[in-house]
Amino acid sequence: MPITINQRQSHYVTCLQGAITISCAAELKRLLLEALASGKDVQVDLEQATTLDVTAMQLLWAARRESERSGTAFAVVGQVPEQISVAVRDAGFESLPVSAAPK
Amino acid sequence: MIDKFKQAFQEEAREILIELESALLELNEKRDDKEVIGRAFRALHTIKGSGAMFGFDELAAFSHNLETAFDEVRNGRLQVTPDLINLSLDALDQIKAMLEGTDAGRSDEILAKLRELTGAPEPHPAGPAPVPPTAPPKTGATRDWRIRLYPGPDFMKSGANPLLLLRELRQLGDLRVTASMAAVPPIKELDPERCYVSWEMLLTTAAVPEAIRDVFIFVEDACELTIGPAPGQSDAIDTKSSDAAPVERASGGGRRASDKPESASSIRVAAAKLDQLVNLVGELVTVQARLGEVAARREDPDVLAVSEEVERLTAALRENSMSIRMLPIRATFERFRRLVHDLARDLHKQVELTFEGADTELDKTVIDQLTDPLMHLIRNSMDHGIENAEGRRAVGKPATATIHLSARHSGANVLIGVTDDGAGINAEAVRARAVEKGLIAADAQLTETEIFSLILAPGFSTAKQITDVSGRGVGMDVVRRSVEALRGTLDIASKAGAGATVTLRLPLTLAIIDGLLVQVGDARFVLPLANSLECVELTERDIEASHGKPLANVRGELIPYIRISDYFDMKRGRPPHEQIMITETEQGQFGLVVDQVLGDHQTVIKNLGRLYRNVQVVSGATILGDGTVALILDPHRLVQDAMRTLSPDKRPSGVAREQAGHRQKPRNGTAAHRVLQNESFLSNGISYGRYIRCSPYHTTFHRERGASHLLV
Repeated sequence: MPITINQRQSHYVTCLQGAITISCAAELKRLLLEALASGKDVQVDLEQATTLDVTAMQLLWAARRESERSGTAFAVVGQVPEQISVAVRDAGFESLPVSAAPK
Repeated sequence: MIDKFKQAFQEEAREILIELESALLELNEKRDDKEVIGRAFRALHTIKGSGAMFGFDELAAFSHNLETAFDEVRNGRLQVTPDLINLSLDALDQIKAMLEGTDAGRSDEILAKLRELTGAPEPHPAGPAPVPPTAPPKTGATRDWRIRLYPGPDFMKSGANPLLLLRELRQLGDLRVTASMAAVPPIKELDPERCYVSWEMLLTTAAVPEAIRDVFIFVEDACELTIGPAPGQSDAIDTKSSDAAPVERASGGGRRASDKPESASSIRVAAAKLDQLVNLVGELVTVQARLGEVAARREDPDVLAVSEEVERLTAALRENSMSIRMLPIRATFERFRRLVHDLARDLHKQVELTFEGADTELDKTVIDQLTDPLMHLIRNSMDHGIENAEGRRAVGKPATATIHLSARHSGANVLIGVTDDGAGINAEAVRARAVEKGLIAADAQLTETEIFSLILAPGFSTAKQITDVSGRGVGMDVVRRSVEALRGTLDIASKAGAGATVTLRLPLTLAIIDGLLVQVGDARFVLPLANSLECVELTERDIEASHGKPLANVRGELIPYIRISDYFDMKRGRPPHEQIMITETEQGQFGLVVDQVLGDHQTVIKNLGRLYRNVQVVSGATILGDGTVALILDPHRLVQDAMRTLSPDKRPSGVAREQAGHRQKPRNGTAAHRVLQNESFLSNGISYGRYIRCSPYHTTFHRERGASHLLV
C-alpha cells in the first residue's frame, strides 16, 4: 500500500511510499480527508516516495489549504527525496511546506 | 485501474493504427503529398508517446525508429519508395502484434531493414532506456514564446501527464513555469483524478513553433492551449514562420480525437447497449400499437388524441434509433485497400481499388457480415478475373487493373457492387468444369446466366491451381450463403474480355422486416413482403378444375400451392374461404394458402433463441399489437421443406411442376431441366436458376418463354 497512516497523540502522519500517481489519487484524497477530520495536526512523510504526479501534488496543496482554513497545522516532515523536490519545482509549484518538526 | 487505462490505450492505438495504415496506402499513390506524410508521422508520434506513457516501452521504442524515418521524409531528406511503404506496413503489423501481445519477434529484422533504407546508424536499443526525443528542427536565433495550458476535465483520464509535457518542453530550451491553483476546489469537492492546475510558461527556444505544438499533439483536444510570441517580442517575423506565429487555441474536453480533418463530436458506445436500445424501442412500438387499438375501440377523443401523439413520437424514436445503428460502409471498403495492395504484390499484378458511394449507410448488423463475402469476391476478381500487366497490355488495356466497389440505396435495399475490368467470366470454362463435376450433362443447353449461376455451387472452381489466395472452390459458396443469411440476392454479370460485376442486393437492416400479416386458423404468421407478389382467392372452382392437384390458375399460369395449415399439421377442417399468397421463392413461384391476409406489418424481428436455431422455416417471431406472437416464415425454406415432407396428395408433384411452366426455367426435356427436377437436388436448396437474375453489364440478356435474345 503506497499510503499508510500513523496516528499519534498529537498528530496524524500520512506516509507516502513509492509512486503516488493518479491510480492512488482517490485513496490519497480519502486518507487526507480523514486526517483533516481528525482535528489533529497533519504531517506528510515523503521519505520513501519516489514520484509524485500532478494529482498528488494538487491533493497535498488542497489539503494544506484546508488545514489552514480550519486552523490546524500541515507540514511535510522528514527528508524529501531530491527528485521530488525537483519535480515539484519543475511543475511550477511553490515549494512543499516542509517543516522541521519532529516525527 | 491501471488495466482500464491500458485498455483505453489499446483501443485508441488500434484506431490510430487503422489511420496509419490508411495513410501509408494513400502515400503509396501520392508519394509527395505533404498532408499524407504528416498524417503518417503524427500517427507514429502519437503511438510512440502514448505507448511510453502507458508502459508499452518496447512498442514505444520500436515506433520511435519508424517515427524518425518519417521525420526524415517530412523534412525531405528521405524519399518515399515502395520499399519504404512495404517496410512500414510490416512495421505496422509488428506494432499491432506488440499491442495485442502476440509479438512475433520481428522487430530487429525490421529495424535492420529500416536502417538500411534510411542509412541511419544503430538506433538506441529497445528496452528500459528512456525514449530519446526527436531533435527539433531549429531556425537559428532563439525567441520567447508564451504558452498557456488549461487542462480539461478529462485531461488526466485520457492519459496525459502534464509533468511529462513540461519536461518535453524543457528539452526545447529554457522554460519558466508558473502553476496556477486558482481552479482547485476545496478538497472535499475535489475530483482526485482531474487536474485543476493550469500553467503559464515562458519558453526561450530556437525551435520552430511546430515543434512546440508537437509536444501537445496528443493532448490537444483534452485541454485549452495557447501558444504565441511572448509579449514584448519584436514583431519582425520572417515569412517562413509567419503562418505559425498567430495564437493557436484548441479547446474542448473529452477524449482526444484521431487526426482526421473532420473530428466530429462523437461518443463511443458499446454495441450491446445499442442493441438493448433498439430492443426497447421495438417493444415500445408493439405496446404503442396496442394502445392504438384500445384507443380506437374506446372512442374517447382525449385518449385518441394522446394515442396519436404517442404514435407519432414512437415512429420518430424508431427511425432515430434505427439510424443510430446505421454506419457508412466506408470503413469496410477502406479495409480492403490493404488486401488489394498485398494481393497485388503476391500475385505480381497491378491493381487499383476505387470506391463509389462509400458514405452509403447500412445497419451495423449487415455491415459486420459483409466483410467476408466482399473479401472473397475481391480475391476471386484478383486471382481469376484480372490479368497481369503484360496480359493486359497485349489486349490493349491499361497495365493497372481496377477493382471498383460501389454502394447505393435502392428503395428499401442497398446495392453493393464489386466490378473489375479483367477478363470476365469464361462461360466456356465454367460450363466445361460443371460437366466435369457432373453438375450438368455434357449436352445440356444453358443460358449464359444459368452458366454463371453454376459458379455458386459448393466446391466449384475453374482454377487449375489452388493458390494460397483462392481456387478451393469455397469462396463463391461462402458468398452465396452470406448473402442468403442477409436475406439478400446476388447478381452476376460479365462480358468476356471486359470484366465482371457482382452485385449484392441487401435489405437495409436485418432487425426489421417488412412483412405481410396472415391468418391461418387461430394463428397468425408474417411473410416477407419482399417475396410476396400478389394475393388471389382460392375458390372451389380452382380446386375442382385442377382435379385434386394443388395447382391454381392465375391468369393462365398454373401456380403450385401449399397450405400452411397442412404444413404445420394444424388439425382443422377446410375454411370456406382461402387466399393464396403468391410468393417468389428459390424454387420458383409458389402459392402459400392462408385463411386471410391481414395487411402490411413492419416489425422488429425477435430471435427465437438458441433452441430453435436449426428451425430454418421460421426466421424469427414478432409480437403483435394485441400481445400475441406471430412467427415469421421463410418462404424458401418452407416450400423446400414442404416438398419433402408433405404427403403426395398435398404437394405439387414433379409432373405438376412441369406443367406449371415457370419462366426462366430450362426448356422441358433438356438435361439441365431433368437435373433441376431431381427432388433431392431441390431439397438441398440448390436451384441456382431462380437465384440469379439477369442484370445489365454492357448488354442485357432477356429470356422469354424459351426464346433468348439480346437487348442492347
